[in-house]
Amino acid sequence: VGKEQLSTKKGLEGALISVYSNLNGRANRMASATNWVWGSIRGGDANKGTDPGDFSDINPIQRFENLSTQGVIRDKYTGTYEGVARANAVLQLLTTATAEVTDADKKRISAEARFLRAHYYFELKKTFGNTPYVDETLDYGTGIEKVKNDVDLWPKIEADLKYAYDNLPETQAAVGRANKWAAASYLAKVYLYQKKYADAKTLFDLVIANGKTSNGKKYGLVPKYADIYRASNDNNEESIFAIQNAANTGSVNNAFPEFDLNYPYNTGPNGPGNCCGFFQPSFELGNSFRTSAAGLPLLDGSYNVGANQVKTDMGVGASETFTPDAGNLDPRIDHSIGRRGIPYLDWQDHPGAAWIRNQPNGGPYSPKKYTYYKSDVGSLQDNSTWTPGYTALNFTIIRFADVLLMAAECEVEVGSLEKARDYVNQVRKRAANPAGFVTKAGAPAAKYVISTYDAPWTDKAVARDAVRFERKLELSGEGFRFFDLVRWGIAEKEINAYLAYDSKFLPGTLGGAKFTPNKHELLPLPQDQIDLLGKDVLKQNPGY
Amino acid sequence: QDRKVTGKVVANDGPVPGATILLKGSNVGTSADANGAFTINVSGANPVLVISAIGYKPQEVTVGNQSVVNVKIEDDVNALTEVIVTGYSIDSRRETTGAVSTVKAKDLTVRPSGNVEQQLQGRVAGLTVITNGQPGTASQVRVRGFGAFGGNEPLYVVDGVPVGSTDFLAPDDIETTTVLKDAAAASIYGARAANGVIVYTTKKGSKGAKKLNISYDGMYGVTLAGEGQKMMNPTDFATWTWNAKRNSNEAFGHPQFGSGSTPVIPDYLTVGGRSGVVGTVDLAAEKAKYNVDPTAGSIYQVVKANKEGTDWYKAITRNAALQRHSLGFSGGGENSRFYIGFGAQNQQGILKGNDFTRYTFRANSEFNVLKNVRIGQNLQFTYRSILGQSGGAGGNGVAADENDILSAFRMPSIIPIYDEFGGYAGTAAKGFNNPRNPVASRDGLANNRSFNANGFGNIYAEWDPIPGLTLRSSLGGQYNNFYNWGYSRLQYENSENNSAFGYNEGGGWSFGWVLTNTATYKKQFGKHNVEVLAGQEALNTGKGRNMSGNGLNPFSTDINYVNLSNVSASGRVVNSSLFSGVNFYSLFGRVNYIFNDKYIITGVVRRDGSSRFGANNRFGAFPAFSAAWRISSEPFMKQLTWVSDLKIRGGYGTMGNSNNVDPNNQFSLYGASIGNSAYDINGSNSSTAEGYYRTRIGNPDAKWETSITKNIGIDGTFLNGKLDVVIDFWQKDTKDLLYQLPITATAGPFASPPSVNIAKMANKGIDILVTNRGRITKDLSYDITFTGGTLSNEIVSVAPNVNYLTNVNPGFRGINPIRNQVGYSISSFYGYKVIGLFQNAEEVKNAPTQDGAGPGRFRYADINGDGRINADDRTYLGSPVPKFTAGMSLGFKYKGWELEAYLNGFFGNKIFNVSKWFTDFYPSFAGAAISERVKDSWTPSNPGATTPIFETASNFSTNTQSNSFYVENGSYVRFQNITLGYNLPASALSKARIQRLRVFASTNNIFTLTKYQGLDPGVGGNADTNFGIDVGNYPLTKGWTIGLNLGF
Repeated sequence: VGKEQLSTKKGLEGALISVYSNLNGRANRMASATNWVWGSIRGGDANKGTDPGDFSDINPIQRFENLSTQGVIRDKYTGTYEGVARANAVLQLLTTATAEVTDADKKRISAEARFLRAHYYFELKKTFGNTPYVDETLDYGTGIEKVKNDVDLWPKIEADLKYAYDNLPETQAAVGRANKWAAASYLAKVYLYQKKYADAKTLFDLVIANGKTSNGKKYGLVPKYADIYRASNDNNEESIFAIQNAANTGSVNNAFPEFDLNYPYNTGPNGPGNCCGFFQPSFELGNSFRTSAAGLPLLDGSYNVGANQVKTDMGVGASETFTPDAGNLDPRIDHSIGRRGIPYLDWQDHPGAAWIRNQPNGGPYSPKKYTYYKSDVGSLQDNSTWTPGYTALNFTIIRFADVLLMAAECEVEVGSLEKARDYVNQVRKRAANPAGFVTKAGAPAAKYVISTYDAPWTDKAVARDAVRFERKLELSGEGFRFFDLVRWGIAEKEINAYLAYDSKFLPGTLGGAKFTPNKHELLPLPQDQIDLLGKDVLKQNPGY
Repeated sequence: QDRKVTGKVVANDGPVPGATILLKGSNVGTSADANGAFTINVSGANPVLVISAIGYKPQEVTVGNQSVVNVKIEDDVNALTEVIVTGYSIDSRRETTGAVSTVKAKDLTVRPSGNVEQQLQGRVAGLTVITNGQPGTASQVRVRGFGAFGGNEPLYVVDGVPVGSTDFLAPDDIETTTVLKDAAAASIYGARAANGVIVYTTKKGSKGAKKLNISYDGMYGVTLAGEGQKMMNPTDFATWTWNAKRNSNEAFGHPQFGSGSTPVIPDYLTVGGRSGVVGTVDLAAEKAKYNVDPTAGSIYQVVKANKEGTDWYKAITRNAALQRHSLGFSGGGENSRFYIGFGAQNQQGILKGNDFTRYTFRANSEFNVLKNVRIGQNLQFTYRSILGQSGGAGGNGVAADENDILSAFRMPSIIPIYDEFGGYAGTAAKGFNNPRNPVASRDGLANNRSFNANGFGNIYAEWDPIPGLTLRSSLGGQYNNFYNWGYSRLQYENSENNSAFGYNEGGGWSFGWVLTNTATYKKQFGKHNVEVLAGQEALNTGKGRNMSGNGLNPFSTDINYVNLSNVSASGRVVNSSLFSGVNFYSLFGRVNYIFNDKYIITGVVRRDGSSRFGANNRFGAFPAFSAAWRISSEPFMKQLTWVSDLKIRGGYGTMGNSNNVDPNNQFSLYGASIGNSAYDINGSNSSTAEGYYRTRIGNPDAKWETSITKNIGIDGTFLNGKLDVVIDFWQKDTKDLLYQLPITATAGPFASPPSVNIAKMANKGIDILVTNRGRITKDLSYDITFTGGTLSNEIVSVAPNVNYLTNVNPGFRGINPIRNQVGYSISSFYGYKVIGLFQNAEEVKNAPTQDGAGPGRFRYADINGDGRINADDRTYLGSPVPKFTAGMSLGFKYKGWELEAYLNGFFGNKIFNVSKWFTDFYPSFAGAAISERVKDSWTPSNPGATTPIFETASNFSTNTQSNSFYVENGSYVRFQNITLGYNLPASALSKARIQRLRVFASTNNIFTLTKYQGLDPGVGGNADTNFGIDVGNYPLTKGWTIGLNLGF
């Protein structure tokens, strides 16, 4: 169809749908907002997993040997710009909207489009630094290829989100649409990334006090941690803005395509996904769930030392016996990590090596959070292509626990440590709900010992550590960790510590890998874009 | 005074059907029937008959008072008497000024292949045919190089009707094949001629044949499966698995081979999920638990280790039968002629479940309505079915596919084909990674069907209003219809299984037409000979619709039950599409002037308009000029008696190409796609709302690509006709190349960028044809024909400041072998140059910094000398475009015996053998099969190896980068065919009223001389910017045929 036909109400709404549609990258798994490679793997939550030869383009990413020529880097860049271009198309089409499009429609459509454009630029900004800023006034043939990457994207992102916050309704007819409170949360997050703590705090306070979902639910935490990751519980009170996935729609591109390979391997019909063993949680992450006798995390880092290390079945054959770790653990470990001897959702006990594709390469763990349940097969899961790993499960880009923890960061920096502690404890309290524990034969599957921080934090530094560590535990595998470490300025220390620790177990995979400061915080701009547009237009990031 | 004279025209080979008999000095004439017999009324005092036939020297016979005149005519071995049929005119080679090649009808039928274009390989100088061993496969046919970044296929014209492909033609129906190579010859086809034109005409029958001629040609044969690549046996496989771990200082361990210091070969690979079982198993008890139906519960298999080793290549291949039968009826009366042909061909592929079948029916006829008015028609129906084909673009892309042939080299030999109770065995047994059982995969295709039915033809009328002037009008069309359905198995035997039973079904049709009107005027006055052709043509390349659907999990998988209506409603998808073809409107003209048979000048021009382009640039004009000088007719040459005929030709002109642009290129478009723009905005978990996104950015200003060709050649006959030489020096420069120049990602990568006229390409070469014929003794004659063509292809420019095609970067498991770069050929290989393997830690330390460097690993050249190996050190590694292609045919005749042999070759090309990535490196997919080559891999005690150390590490210095390790010499010489034939003597046959009986036996692909390590050096590809990459090439293998040619 031609452009004129899209200036109708229906056309504009459809053009806007396509902007949402691009959130998951449309089979370009690197472009998705899940950031499982860019946020989680680079942050040390997990390694690539599977075999070295499988999707080998990710190997240099997890080893910080990035080349500007890598396809995965280009994929993130171009796939994200597709979202920008689609948002711009909507805003451009609005200028020629037919008379049937009311001012209210225009306001809402433009606000949603700008919300989404801000999202895509935020993805670019945190991944690549400054990239060319193009809006709806530029297109092919009108100078778009001359735009340099010398403009700070933050003010542009803020402007779009402010517009969205000012113009979006509180509730929406369709639950998948961004609303006022999603915009507020995102804007606050963008302030936080810029360390504008006061601005962020003001907004977070409003969100926590008044926020509600697009379908009118007051923001809150779902009672059981595992229920965040159930397709049947999508769009709950915790879901502030999510990628809406759907199964059996005629294309698996609508069914969480970026996670289709992130399952245990060769499970046969008694396990989910069957393929391909990507995204295996790290040893370091596993150990992080160790708790003290008091049920608190080991903030001093001693979880990687001696008996505090979580016992794994690394090197233990499938036919050999293995008893899982008997020490104190945060119950979230068994919602986040598939490990031997623990029930793997409603499938069976994780059998260890039998489900691991290449233990010397990826370690003993399997991903678990975004795995579908056996009871979901065929309904909330999609069999229409070669692998069954497609699901209707939403991926939350912002959820309320994330907001609470971001608000806690602001409180630590410019507010009240007590309020920060309260936010963190809200999150921990939910995790500690015994009804949410993984159980085996009616009893907790492991020794779950977790409690809230009951004593006030003594100073900012302690508080900061606690808040940050809570983010690691609560949000592992959700695409945040690397970007958090970079904005906190502790990426070099934390990542090199992770690499040093995990490479002891996976020498071939991570041995010798090293994060270089002032370089690896950002990805290089894709070489083919520089070759195409010229070095005078695109300036490569430092160090590349 | 008239009297009747009868007689017979014979030549060395026997009767000459269709020979023309003229009474000298009159208009009286006739032609010989199929037996060479004729009857003619003669008159006059001293009647003289002039007998002529194509391929023979004209001969005059004085009748005298004879009433029976038998004439023996001599072969005219001079190739220059050949007839050259273009779509619009019939010329003689003697008078042509352009670069033209022909192929003998018989050469198209020698090889058992069903595809006509495959037969052209090595037969025409300057023609590059890149193909593979699949029966019925499409091929890349390129005339004089690669003019553009796509759409380089030549224009095919069958009986005057341009067609997109010739796959519907039966080789036995073809009478003439003419390849128009330069602008002087081809630009009569204007905007569609830049890639050369291949003109076929089909058999017509002959006028005045009087008698019905019946011919039968049949052949039967077998193609042998051949040998696969050498893979390790189970013991070596286990040993080298241990070696990989030892070389990497890793603990020993494998689900099957235990964890001891030496691997233990188990007796069973799986017993109900238990791996590496040593000892005996109670099979009766196990059988009770056996289940291979995933819908009926857990899978329970017992798989015995195949300690002898499974030859997976052998398991998926077979000795494949082929047969071809053609029946022809031809004849004619005073005012008519006709040909009716039936053809049937069935050819099995050496790969199981791969078959090609074609049935053809052809009816051609022509009638004289009045003395000066003729009408005629050509008609063909074809049924064609290809099953189990792999590879994109009609099978072209098979080499670059991860297909069942690759699977055969990835499946460890220790896995048997079947489990203990009849189900398939596979990598569901732990430890072997992800290859899939290729036998199961081939078997799964058994019920798939795919076929098309095609109707093709034209009707024409010719009127000669005044002597010399012929007006011709022709209306042609092609209707094509296809249908297919297929099933995908619910698998259980693999580590990665299809999780549902799938079904797909589709069909479609297309119709294209062409209307051509021409006027030809020929006039000779004195020494001047003038021929003028003017024409007009309108056509549509084909409009039509396609529809398809697919779905999952019907209630029953009985193939008599499954259809699109009863697959599961969730996940059922239907698609349809429509297309309206491309309209062309064209005017063209040609003037040919010959003075005194010595000087020839030709001018051609064609003006085309096409709906592919926007109104701004819809029309293009393509002129060409050429001239020839028959130097041998000059008096000063007469004394050089060894020169029988010598002509020097030269031509210059332009031709167009528009193949490489979508008709929608002129528009900016938006579209909806369930995969690309839908979204579950309502959070339903099961449905989506439709979204619209920009699919295409338009360029209303795009216009034709233009090729400028220059050609200088000679046509010579020497030594009294024993030696023919045709040589052409040519150059073809393409400008305004249409190319989807990538645009900045910021404009949205999902929108196709517009094709713009920007790049330039140069091709040049020399085409040579040499034929030597003669007699060794009275009964023993021979002929040798050599054709050869050199080719130099170079991308001259891409776009201002852009050095390569950034959007052509095909990936093979992370290896990106191709870069189309200025200064190099199309589809050139690109990557790191391996200068050796690191021998020790000392060398690593002293070498330029290289990620992952280590002893036994690749050492790359530091191209820019900055002491650091990075992306800037990638370089050109070779080209898949052969520098020289050649063919040679040898023929000997002794009395009734004929011995013919035919060879062809590619020289100077490279192949990117990426299949080695799968078989020569442990970590590519750890646990999959290992090549025998690995036994010669690097170790400190085998420092001269070229295969790197076998180890578990995967990094920049091992298996992750495109580098010269994969680039191999692709040159080859293939002994394509040798045929021994025997013509039964006419004397023996005449009693049985048989005119001709020939029996023959052939062997095909007798051997191939090559250094290439893969299965077969004939490595193709499915795109012009992307070929010569071998992942799972389908080899051309040895075979034999026997056959019979019979004529009544």
